[in-house]
Amino acid sequence: MQPNLLKSLRYRFMKNLGAPLLTVLEQRRATGKRNRGPHPHFGPPLRCNARLRQLLTRHYFLSRYAKGAHPVAWVTSGAPVELLRVLDFYTIYPENHGALCGAKRMGTELCTAAEAHGYSQELCAYARIDLGHHFTGKTPAGKLPRPDLLFASNNICQTVVYWYRALAHYWNIPLVLFDTPFNYEALSDMQIEYMSAQLQEMIPVLERVSGRRFDVVRLQQIIGSAKECSALWGQVLDTMKARPAPMTIFDAFVHLAPIVSLRGLEGCRTHYRTLLDELRERVNRGIGALTVERKRLMWDNIAVWFKVRELAGMFAERGLNFVTATYTNAWAETGTMIDPQRPFESLARAYSQVILNNNLKHRLDLMKRLIREFEVDGLVMHSARSCKPYSIGQYDLKRILADQLQIPSVIIEADIADSRSFSEKQVIAQLELFFEAFEDRTE
Amino acid sequence: MTPTDLPERKAYLLHQKAEHQRNVLGVFPAVYPREILWSLNILPVEIWDPPVPIGRSAAHVPPNICDVARRGLELILQGHCGDLDGFLFPHTCDSIQNVASIVNDYLGTGKPSFFFHLPRESESRAARAFYRLQLESLSSALRKHFHRSLDTGMLVESLQWGQRIDAAIRTLYELRGQDRLDVSNSRFYSVLRAGEYLHPSDHLPCLAQLIETTGSAKPPKTPVVLSGVLPSPPAFLSLLDELDLRVAADDLLNCSRRLQVPDGPAGNPYEALTDRYFRLPVCPTRNSTLAQRVNRLLSLVGSTRAAGVIFYVVPFCDPELFDLPPLVAELKKQGVRTLVVEAGLNRQLSGQVAVRVEAFAEMIGSGAA
Repeated sequence: MQPNLLKSLRYRFMKNLGAPLLTVLEQRRATGKRNRGPHPHFGPPLRCNARLRQLLTRHYFLSRYAKGAHPVAWVTSGAPVELLRVLDFYTIYPENHGALCGAKRMGTELCTAAEAHGYSQELCAYARIDLGHHFTGKTPAGKLPRPDLLFASNNICQTVVYWYRALAHYWNIPLVLFDTPFNYEALSDMQIEYMSAQLQEMIPVLERVSGRRFDVVRLQQIIGSAKECSALWGQVLDTMKARPAPMTIFDAFVHLAPIVSLRGLEGCRTHYRTLLDELRERVNRGIGALTVERKRLMWDNIAVWFKVRELAGMFAERGLNFVTATYTNAWAETGTMIDPQRPFESLARAYSQVILNNNLKHRLDLMKRLIREFEVDGLVMHSARSCKPYSIGQYDLKRILADQLQIPSVIIEADIADSRSFSEKQVIAQLELFFEAFEDRTE
Repeated sequence: MTPTDLPERKAYLLHQKAEHQRNVLGVFPAVYPREILWSLNILPVEIWDPPVPIGRSAAHVPPNICDVARRGLELILQGHCGDLDGFLFPHTCDSIQNVASIVNDYLGTGKPSFFFHLPRESESRAARAFYRLQLESLSSALRKHFHRSLDTGMLVESLQWGQRIDAAIRTLYELRGQDRLDVSNSRFYSVLRAGEYLHPSDHLPCLAQLIETTGSAKPPKTPVVLSGVLPSPPAFLSLLDELDLRVAADDLLNCSRRLQVPDGPAGNPYEALTDRYFRLPVCPTRNSTLAQRVNRLLSLVGSTRAAGVIFYVVPFCDPELFDLPPLVAELKKQGVRTLVVEAGLNRQLSGQVAVRVEAFAEMIGSGAA
């Protein structure tokens, strides 16, 4: 794909003038909102929240003008996007978009649209939202650019393969898959060779679609930057080891967006540096995310995007703060494996060892470590109807953690973005029981 | 052993152990290199739809897991796998993946688990190289655990068994498609599926005898194509028989998608087995494109003059459920009639399913409907 001159000019105009103007408007809107009084249970909000909104608004705003100026790819959250960055792809993350739709309460509408075209309600809500968007064009982001390429990795689930195959079929565009064998046991040399070879094999396809030449030196620079972003994200999460924690995991769910969608880009790096500075300042000044942090919890699985605020409030009013999550940790835990001097091999290592591509013993060990390091008192597990790889195995994890660490826990049955799979009464009843048992055991 | 005299599975595997000193491995769906196991005197016994009541698995997995994965886990939890010497888990889907991890990491069955990744890219040199390396790695792991030595002669013989079975199954499908095999749907699939636990030396004679059952059904039955995961419960096939519908071809994961393999070159056993995997018919679990799948279905319909396609789907089966809407839409565009039926395994066929299939049979003009 050769860039179209007019579309490139339009994109540049929007980048240099449109997006900054939008940022100013966003700042004004945020300033107006900030004048609310203090919350009875939450500490002062993060200043970086407004900055994050600007960053994401800009990203989605510019995406409208990206087609023709950049090659456009839709990418799964666990795919090695660094390869695409070398070739100047503008990337959209349907999972991130699904979370946005969930948070904006548009998830169910788009899921229903996909179901009207025959997709089962049993399928992943992110996928149904994406397919619903395909059929209706509706999105809270205004408009998403039609991709030139789909780029997926099954390191998070096999579902993305089926989902992206459907998109590839509807749009008649190539799907490039990075196939990562599941780690039932320790990662083997054979697996690393396979994945490393795949990354090199896909370059000609990426070059053909983008119309650009691949440059390994540029790749090394980009993965260096991605590694730094991942490390910064890890440090951001680590600030929650402090008592009181300067933010909650619900804040982290929101601030996760840049590491998922903008990994390796300057905007991502700057955002996390600024956020880290703010969090460290809060730690130094003893400012907690909650006005009173009585107990500390861990969250397992993806967020219930359409209920984040309500759940956050429900826990905060009891002085219960979520200080860590297996989910948010996923974009920090393997960053150290990235080595710009061995780009393909280290990308293979890092991307194949993310939480969902590892066996349940690995997840148990990870949870034990997080519980210890973040001084966690209790655990809330979200059995997400959409996400089988995350949810199958939780019952055993709960039992083993209770046996070995005597840690109180609860499993709530819900979903990531389809509110029809959320029974308010049932979840509240489950949580009330947990609160009672939790208080009895931890008093 | 004849097609009408298939042995009961448990008695058979006990006999195999006692008589032939074979180890028995429980194998989860779907594709695996059976020849490697045969060559080491290991009998693979596949676990697709064990007829066990669902109960204990509820303490380990959520309700929205497919019946195939759930029943496999249930079989283990209820202690029905005591005679197995281990498990083999091909990496087929998310549900089987996590069930495998539960079994290996948490259940403490005291039995070894072996794993096999199925590469998702058919055109990739890296995938072929990896598949071949995995064959050698699996063989090595099995030899080490079961104290067997590498016997090239046995490997070649196993490969030949596999090729003869493939050839027999190709012939059977061909005869079936041409309405030159006078057996019911139930009988056809019970013989085919006996290969899920019979040693090839026992399965081959059954297949050969079935091939001899030539002659077209009288009165002629309406040909249909059956797509989905597996033809279970057997009552579903009996229903098709009652309605005079002949499954002339299938696109079932546990049948043609892994058994109806085009003939390929002989040669080095590992190369030949690698080649076999990459020649398998298209399948979503191996990332075939939807266009390929549509073309295959249209080709099956065309070559058998089928009057329609029945999608027989296991609930919560992601690979199938994702493909259904575009498949149905594309077939409709080509004027092919379709029916989508969702049914759990080994349960009684619901009245609703029966009524829908009857209505479909009537629509496509089956005589008995």
